[in-house]
Amino acid sequence: MKKKIISLMMAAALSVTTLAACGGTDQGSAGGAAQQAEDSGSGSESTDDAGKTYALVTKSAGNAFMELLGTGFAQAVESTGGKAIIKDPQAATADAQISEIQSLISQGVDSILVAANDPSALTAVLKEATDAGIKVLTVDSDVDAASRAFFVNQASTELIGQTLLDACYDIAGGSGQYAILSATSQATNQNAWIDAMKAAAEADSKYANMELVEVAYGDDEPQKSTDQTQALLSKYPDLKVICAPTTVGIAAAAKVLQDTGSSVKLTGLGLPSEMVEYIGEDDAHSCPYMFLWNMIDLGNLAGYASVALVNGDTTGAVGEKFTAGNMGEFEVVDVDGASQIILGNPFKFDASNVQEWADKGM
Amino acid sequence: MAGKSGREISAVPEGGLKEKLLSWEGALILILVAVNILGVAISPVYNVTNVLREMPKYLAEAFMVFGMGYILVLGDIDISVGSIVCLSATMACFAGNAGLPFPVVVLVCVLTGLVCGMINGLIASKFTELPTMIITLGTQIIFRGIAEVSLGSGGSLSMKDTSGLSALGTKIGPFPISFFVLVIFAVIFITLLSKTTFGRRLYAIGSNQTAAKYAGINVQGSRFFAFSLLGFLSGVCAIFLLSTLFGANTTTGNGFEMEIIAMCVFGGIATTGGKGNLIGAFIAAFIIFCLRIALGQRNINTQIILVVIGLMLIVSVVIPAISSAVSAGRKKQGN
Repeated sequence: MKKKIISLMMAAALSVTTLAACGGTDQGSAGGAAQQAEDSGSGSESTDDAGKTYALVTKSAGNAFMELLGTGFAQAVESTGGKAIIKDPQAATADAQISEIQSLISQGVDSILVAANDPSALTAVLKEATDAGIKVLTVDSDVDAASRAFFVNQASTELIGQTLLDACYDIAGGSGQYAILSATSQATNQNAWIDAMKAAAEADSKYANMELVEVAYGDDEPQKSTDQTQALLSKYPDLKVICAPTTVGIAAAAKVLQDTGSSVKLTGLGLPSEMVEYIGEDDAHSCPYMFLWNMIDLGNLAGYASVALVNGDTTGAVGEKFTAGNMGEFEVVDVDGASQIILGNPFKFDASNVQEWADKGM
Repeated sequence: MAGKSGREISAVPEGGLKEKLLSWEGALILILVAVNILGVAISPVYNVTNVLREMPKYLAEAFMVFGMGYILVLGDIDISVGSIVCLSATMACFAGNAGLPFPVVVLVCVLTGLVCGMINGLIASKFTELPTMIITLGTQIIFRGIAEVSLGSGGSLSMKDTSGLSALGTKIGPFPISFFVLVIFAVIFITLLSKTTFGRRLYAIGSNQTAAKYAGINVQGSRFFAFSLLGFLSGVCAIFLLSTLFGANTTTGNGFEMEIIAMCVFGGIATTGGKGNLIGAFIAAFIIFCLRIALGQRNINTQIILVVIGLMLIVSVVIPAISSAVSAGRKKQGN
C-alpha cells in the first residue's frame, strides 16, 4: 500500500513541477522576446506570412553577447509579423546545439539561424534540417559553407585589421612602438585580425614609423593577460599603444594600465560593460576608445535575412541582393569560398556612448 | 526488506505480479507513461516519428547506464566517463581519417574506451584505500587532456569519410540501429546483474566489502571488471555519438558522467552500494530523454529543464526516505 502511495505521489509531483515549468516559461528565450508558436507544428505548411516561425540557436545561455543578438533577431522577425523562437543550449557545445536543432526540426520551423559552436559538427543535423525544407543560415560563427545558405558576418577581417591599425596610428600620434595582446596563439579570429593588421601596415607607407614590437598571448585568461601586459610594460619602456583584439585581454590590460598610471594607451575589441570605467580621453583613463560590433544590429540583420530566405527574396547565391527591413540593401558576397553578408564597420565605443551601451547589458 | 533509502533490494527474489507493479520500477513505468501523456498534451508535434528522430543522440548516452549501474552497486563511482567518450571519439576520428576501414575505426573507438576503463579499474583494484571518486577525477582530467592535446589548436576534428558512420546512423523502420543494440545490451546486462551468481556477488560486495571478501568473493577482480565494462560501454557510446556528430571536439561528452549517475540514482540505485537494479535505471533514462524532448519541443528554457530534472531526482530520493522513516516510527509506536 505504502508503495502505491509513493508511486502516486511521484507521478503527481512530476506532473505538477513540469506543468509549473511550462506555465512559467512560455517564452524560452533571452530577453523575453521569443514567442512560442502554438501552431508551429504546421509552420512549414502554412502559406500566410504571419504564421511563419523563425528560430535562432545561440552559442549558450547566460551569454550577454548572445542575448543582445537574440533581442535584435526577435525585433526584426516580429516587425515582419513572424514568430521568433530563441533556443539557448544547455552548454556552449555542438552536442547541446544538435539537441536544440533536432527539436526545431520536429516543430517544423521555417528557418534556423545558428551561431555555431563548432565549424563541422553541425553538418549532419543542418543537412537534416535542409532536407526537411527548413532554410538554414549562420551568424557570428560559421559552419561548412555547404551546410547553410549564407553566413551573416559582423565585419570583414580586413576591415577589422584596418580599423585596429588606424586606431593605434591615431592614438600613437603617427609614430612609435605598439604591441598586440591577443588571446591564445591558435585563436582563429584573433590570428586573422592580426594578420590583417600586419598586411594593412605594409600596404601603406604612412604606417612606416609605426613599429610592432611584440604579439603577446594572454590566452583569454584575466591573470595571464595581466602578467603579459606587465611584461610588455617592463620590456618596452618606449611603448605607446597596446592593442588587444579580445574582450578578456583588453579588460585585463585596461586595469593594469589605469592602476599603475601608465602613459601607455590601449585600444582593441572590448565589451562596454567591462570597459566603462577605463574609457575616456583624459590621462586618468587608459583607453581612449575601442571597437566591437553592434550585436543588436547584427541580430536585426540576421532576422531580416532569415525572413528574406524564407520568403524567397533571395536564395543565398553569391551576387544576389535583398532588402533587410529598414537597414537597406545587402549583397551576398564570396569571401574565401564562404558566401556571406557583412553587417558593416566595427562599432566605435568612446566616452560619449560607452555608458549607454553598458546599460543595455552589452 | 526496506534498505538504507527505503527501496526494494531487487536482487532478493521478488513476489507476485502485484508486488512487482507496486515496486519502484512500477512507479517509474507510471512516471514514464505520465511523461509521454504530458508530452502529447503540451506539444502538438510530440509523436513517435519525432521522438525517435530526436532520440539517437540520447540513446548513445544510455549505453553507459549499465556500466555505471554495476559500479554504483559495488559502492564505487566513476566520473571519468565523459572524458573517455571524448578520447574514444577523438581516436576514432584519427583512425578514420588515416584511411582505416570502418570496422577497424569501430574497434579503435571501443578499445580506447576499454583501455581507459581498465586503467581506472587497475588503479582502483590495486590501490584499494583510494576513493574511486578521486581516482576517476584524476583520470577524467588526464583522458580529456590527452584528447585535447591530440586535437591540437583547432580543438575539433571531423571524420572525412562519413559513409560508415552514416550507415551506423540509419534506421530500421522508425527505429535507429542504436535502439536495437541498446535493447540487446539491456537484456544481457540486466540478466547478468539480477539473475546470476555473478550479479549477486556484486550486491554482496556493495553491501559489505569485507564480508564479501571473507566469503571468498573476488572483490578486486569484480571491481576491475566493472570499471573495464564501463570503459567499453563509453567506447560504444562514443561510436554511436559519432554517428550523429560526425566528429569530435574538446567538449564532446562534457557532463555525461553526472547525467548518467543521475539516471542511475533516479532509477533507484543507491550510490552507497548494494541496492537497486538496472531495469529502474534503464526506465529512468527514458523518462529523462522523453521529458527533455517534450519540454524542448515546447521551447522551455534549457535551464528550466535542468531544474525540473534536478527536482525529480531530489523527490525520487527524498520521498522513499521520508516514507520509510514514517513507517519505522509507526512500528516503534506499535511496539
